[in-house]
Amino acid sequence: MSTKVTVVKNVLDANDRLAADNRKLFAEKKIFVVNLMSSPGAGKTTLLERTIQELRGTWKIGVIEGDIQDTYDADRIAALDIPVVQINTGGACHIDSNMVREALPGLNIDNMDLLFVENVGNLVCPAEFDIGEQMKIMILSTPEGADKPAKYPLMFQSSTALIINKTDLLPYVNFDLEKAKRDALILNPKLLIFEVSCKTGAGLEVWTRWLNEQIRVFSGR
Amino acid sequence: MHELSLVQSLLEMVDELSLERGFQRVNVLRLSFGRLACVDPLSLQFAFDVESPGTRAEGSKLVFDILPGALYCFSCEGEQKMTSHELRCPVCSGTQVILTGGTEELKLMEMEVD
Repeated sequence: MSTKVTVVKNVLDANDRLAADNRKLFAEKKIFVVNLMSSPGAGKTTLLERTIQELRGTWKIGVIEGDIQDTYDADRIAALDIPVVQINTGGACHIDSNMVREALPGLNIDNMDLLFVENVGNLVCPAEFDIGEQMKIMILSTPEGADKPAKYPLMFQSSTALIINKTDLLPYVNFDLEKAKRDALILNPKLLIFEVSCKTGAGLEVWTRWLNEQIRVFSGR
Repeated sequence: MHELSLVQSLLEMVDELSLERGFQRVNVLRLSFGRLACVDPLSLQFAFDVESPGTRAEGSKLVFDILPGALYCFSCEGEQKMTSHELRCPVCSGTQVILTGGTEELKLMEMEVD
């Protein structure tokens, strides 16, 4: 004889609880955490390299790199002499709050103002998992096509800012910049959009100045 | 793809609940989520079939309550059913709208247990 049991509980409750713990810890330590998301190859690591160069004089920076396997990205960050921990998700398509928690002992978080978490390259799943970040930032690169906001809405809806990268390729790729921006804003009217080229450096100053201001307000310094 | 993680979390939750409420096996799991929450029922079922053998939920039936997407349109002054993720009124195409339903996360609502 089967009995009915009422539950009503979020399946990601455990993740959300851990994310809340992470967020509390980051608030205590005054660490501004950015969850950086995009497709594979959109330029997350290159944007990080450029952003770190601009902000390292002002803030103490750390990086968590998420990939299914290998340490290529972490090696690039380590070459800049920035503390970095590589998470290998071993097949999982996203980083969750527990993975971030377990990576923290590898970083000196008592001496850190800004932590970038480079998520696994994927336009779907990372948007679903809160890791305790201050904000989600996503990159869309011009060769990917302007239809991505319409096709992968959740990521655009959950991000604070969208960085459109590889604008130097606009003359060569069929990317309707206005359509991409319009579609993204229909999904998320509050979304901030930056147009940059990590290759030429165009637009990077506007982005780093804005990010710097967000960290300044957060840390009260 | 994240349905696999969702199912793993669900099975852990069932394990915890079985200790709390003292049951041996689950016959039915009733789950609910919003239509716009990026949860695919077929992938969820597939992940469940792969992950559940050997757990208390092995062989359990999954029942899905999928909540519709809805928005309130300030031009039409009414609630409208959504058919896509676009924050635009499906009747008047107006963009002065707020999302009122459809993004609810995956929840375990009810179980039938022995």
